[in-house]
Parts: sequence; structure tokens; C-alpha cells
Amino acid sequence: MYPHMSIHIYYYNSALALLTGALVLMCTSCFGDEPANCEADIETATLHVSNPESFFYQLTDSVQTVMSTDTAIVFTVKGNADVTSLSPQFTLTPGATINPANGSTHDFSQGPVLYTVTSQDGRWTRRYSVKIIPTVHTVSDTLFFNFEHYELETASDRYYTWHNTLSDGTLGNDWATANAGYRLSMSTAKPMDYPTTPLSQGYDGAAVCLTTRDTGPFGRMANKRLAAGNMFLGTFDIRIAMSDHLHATRFGIPFTSRPDHFTGYYTFEPGPQVQDFYGNIINGRTDSASIYAVFYRNHDAAGNEIVLYGDNILSSSQLVAVANLGYVEPTSQWKPWNVKFEYREEVDEELLANRGYSLSIVFSSSADGGDFVGAIGSRLCVDQVRLICTTQE
Amino acid sequence: MSITRIFTTAMLTAVTAMGIHATVLDSLRVDARLGYSVGGTLPTHIGHEIRGINNFNLGLNFSVAAEASLPINERWAVHSGLRYETGGMDVDSRVKNYDIEVVKGDESLSGIFNGDVRIKSTQRRITLPVQAAYTLSNSVTLRGGLFMGWLTHRRFWGWAYDGYMREGTPVGPKIELGTEPGDRGDFEFDHNMRIMQWGLDVGADWQFHHRWGLYAELTYGLNGLFKSDFHSVQTLRPMYGTLGILYRLK
Repeated sequence: MYPHMSIHIYYYNSALALLTGALVLMCTSCFGDEPANCEADIETATLHVSNPESFFYQLTDSVQTVMSTDTAIVFTVKGNADVTSLSPQFTLTPGATINPANGSTHDFSQGPVLYTVTSQDGRWTRRYSVKIIPTVHTVSDTLFFNFEHYELETASDRYYTWHNTLSDGTLGNDWATANAGYRLSMSTAKPMDYPTTPLSQGYDGAAVCLTTRDTGPFGRMANKRLAAGNMFLGTFDIRIAMSDHLHATRFGIPFTSRPDHFTGYYTFEPGPQVQDFYGNIINGRTDSASIYAVFYRNHDAAGNEIVLYGDNILSSSQLVAVANLGYVEPTSQWKPWNVKFEYREEVDEELLANRGYSLSIVFSSSADGGDFVGAIGSRLCVDQVRLICTTQE
Repeated sequence: MSITRIFTTAMLTAVTAMGIHATVLDSLRVDARLGYSVGGTLPTHIGHEIRGINNFNLGLNFSVAAEASLPINERWAVHSGLRYETGGMDVDSRVKNYDIEVVKGDESLSGIFNGDVRIKSTQRRITLPVQAAYTLSNSVTLRGGLFMGWLTHRRFWGWAYDGYMREGTPVGPKIELGTEPGDRGDFEFDHNMRIMQWGLDVGADWQFHHRWGLYAELTYGLNGLFKSDFHSVQTLRPMYGTLGILYRLK
């Protein structure tokens, strides 16, 4: 369009072309100096050790990509690793500085070491805690999730986040939701208007409720008209929530037991009308929910780290076992489920011990929510989830 | 609204003058004008945050007008008329640390953006100029004064793309924006634009034939394009440059 315009101007009114040219020159000559960077991120953290094979379970564990929403950087290392004198290296936002110094040596056996990053312009800082945790390979019989530990997200107070109870009794951050993404489109939403919310009176104590929500005017403009409620073991990468939403859901956490079956209680009430990608009502269709768990190899044959995403979690060749409830029968009363993992290949015990497998449990209030198809109002509530593992001799 | 009062008074005075001095009316000169315009909107300054212009297009628009001059003496005349002008802007710039607010309905998303920003605007305006005209020679007249404009159509929209936003502050969540609708950050500020504009208006006429002439006009808005309580976009001013032909009717 623009070249056409220029030609037009040139032939019919060269004076206008001159005027336009002069204005452009005026503008290009008045750019000021480039402003200093105002961001203060640790982008990656790397731990170089002389004997990585005996230090890390997986060599790829030596490099951590740090998300913009992370404030804790955790290296999980072998149980007998010496963490008393280590010198993590960080890549920072260009121009930013870090204190204590990048590459300085610290004793990580006494707990986390706190680092402060200051932006190039000196006006912004971020604090990070770096933990290096020697972890003994423990075989657990049952993992239990009761969804009792939830709180408003600390940075914004706008939506809920959940914590699981770890084997040592402390709280972990293994459950992720896409609530942070919903916030981008619905800045006015209250915490209980989000897709994933707590339910104080669940099957036993609190439960978690997933509701397919309208994404409002931004959603309509972007052809992303709904957000299915979801919850999964893994991480949510807000960075690509708008540009590549199916890859924003990073499914799986390293898992060192062999899952056998998983159980829990749910209620599911489909919303009144299923709509397609364009928001048109699909008559005669009832929305469906998802309840499944996957177990997969978290490295490929070449040794690259693998994470499953929204577009391949049920189709990846990395999958080792899947436990899928399939059809989630609508019910307003708590209903139990018990699904066995279907194994596609044998589990390699050494790989299992070396954190080479990952597990994810996935719940969604609209099974096709990733394609923005579903019924606004579909509601899946889940409680008392157990993952039963087979102990190996 | 005091400026409205000034204009009204000026027009009433002119009309009254016409009524009282019917003979003066004989000396009234009236012309029709058709011109190409560029402009509509320009930033008052370019901040450090703007790192480059990828594409800059003031748009190619037109202006039609009926204007009249009422001579007061040999050299001076009062010049006024009515113009209908279209304006537009299409700027694609590269920005760093750019404060941005993406708005749709009641929902908004704001933060610091690094990447490319496309801004488009179209306007249609009815303009009432009130100028003093000075006859330099038989064929050349210079004019200067004020204008008042009413927008009959106003649109201002665009998108932030190919970059990332830090939501809220530079240390907030980092969110990548893509290129396609839905992946990028669209905004629309039509209703934040003022309907009424006013400012300076200078022009020159060159009569090369007893009927035909050429003219140039430049209007520069003294109030911003947006209402004063609106801060999502840097200050922009209405500005139109016009070159065209005039035909003397009387």
C-alpha cells in the first residue's frame, strides 16, 4: 500500500512527496539516545561442576531457563553431591548487574542464597533465591493431592494458585493453571471469576473447580473466545500465553516412581451451549471434560530435554503410559474414578532413578478448550486425587 | 469554550458588517477549492522510546472548500469559509521501554513494550477558518488566522507486535506479542479523540488566471488530538497540509 501511495504522490504531486520526505527526515533526525534497559531478570542459571555425571541426575539439569515470573531457581542434584562450594553463573538482562557477583562461590548446604539483580538504568531490582537441593531417589507408593493449600497469587492478588504437599511435608509448586493467562484478557475479573478457583466445600475439605469462562472483548477480538478451566502438574509459561498458547502449558514434573493407576472424585456439569472457534453455537453437542495422566520420557534419543505441550500431550512418541478416564459423565454428585495406566513400553529402572521420566495429571473443564471450542459455564470440580505407584523390588 | 465565543463573535461581526454595508458585498470575492491533503495527526516530539520508523505514511486525502474574502481596504480582507477535509496517519515504529496500554471495552492491559508499534488514524473534519488576508500583489494573497474544526468521523487504532511486554512494570511478567491478530496487542482509542479542534491556520493563494489559481494551506492544532484525561498515547496534534486549485466564482 505504501509504495503505491508514494508513486501516486510522485506523479501527481511531487511537492507533497517533498513535504512528506521532509517530515520523515525531521522525525528521523530527532531520535534521542537509546534509553537504558529497565529490566532486571536472570534469564538462565548454569551450574558448572568438574564431575557433572556424578553430580546431576541428567546433564541438562545443569542449565535452568528462568521464567519472568520465577523468583526461585532450583537445581535438583544427586543426594550425595557436595553443595558446600558452588559458583552458579547467570545470564542477565543486557546491562543488568547482580549481587553477590556472577559466578561467586557460595555454600548452598545452608539453604538458599539470595541474589539481587539491578537493571541497567538502576531503577528496578528483582530478588531471586537460588537453591541447590541434593535429592535422594525415593520411591513413593502413593501421591495424594487434596487441594487444601491455595492462596491468592502473591504478586498481583488477582487469582488463586495451589500448592502440593511434598514428601518432607513442605509445600511445592507442582500444580499449574492458566489463570495468569486469563488475567491478560480480563483485567477486571475477580479471583472467583477466573477459570480455576477453589471450592471450600469439596468432597472432603476444599476441592478445586475448573470453569470454562468467557474471555471478554479481548478474547472476541483475538478469536480466543473462551478459556477452559485447567489444572495440571507442570508449569505455565506466561511469556507465550498470547503468541503461542498451546506451548504455554508445559506438562510434567520429573517423577521417580512407576505410576499404576490414579483415582479421585469429580463433579462435572457441562455448560448450556457449546460454541465453536468463531463463537457460533453448535446445536446438539454437549461439552466434555478431560481427566487424564501421562507418564513420559523427558529426554529424546539425542539427550535433549523434552516437555509435552498442549498440542502433543496425548500423541507424543515420548509417551510411556497414559491413564485416561475418557468420557467424563456429567454428574452433580461427587463421583469416584479409578483409571489404570496403559503402558506402551517397559520402564527403564535406571532412567527412572535418574529422573528421566516425567508425570503430569491434567484436568480441563472443556476437552477442546485448547482450540477455543467448548461451553462457557462448563464446570469440573476435582478432589482427593491419588496416584498409586507400583513399588519395584 | 471561550474559543467558540470568539469565533461566534467574529462571524457575527462579519455578517453584520456585510448587512450594514451592502455595497461592500459587491466587493466580496468567493471561490471554490479542491486540494490534496496530507496529515491529520503528528506527534509533538519523538521521545527516546521511539527507536526508529519502519514506515511512515501521512496518508493522501482531500479537501473541498467554499471560501470568501471580504475586503476591508486595498490590502486587507477578512477571509472565511467552510472546508471538508479528510485526514489520516499510518506510522509503524520500533520502540524500547515504551509505556503502552492495550484497551478493549472495559478491559485493559498495560505495561512497558519493546518491539514494533503500528498506529493508524482516519478523520473527517468540517473546518471553519477565520483569517486576515493580505494582498501582496495582484495575484498573490497571504492569509493567517485561526480555525475551528469538528470531526464528523474519528478513528484511532493500532497494535503492538513482534516484541514483548512487561506487564505493569519492567519487572512484571514478560509476555511476547506476535504479528497476527490475536497474537499481538490491539488497541482502539476512537472515543478518546476530541470532536472539536482549533488552532492556527496559514495559507497563500496565487491567482495565475482571472478564474483559476493555486493555494497552499497549513493548519496546526493547538489542542491535542485526544481529550486531556487520556494518557495512553503520547501527545498528538491535528495537523493538515494542503495544496490545491481554486476557482474564483465571484
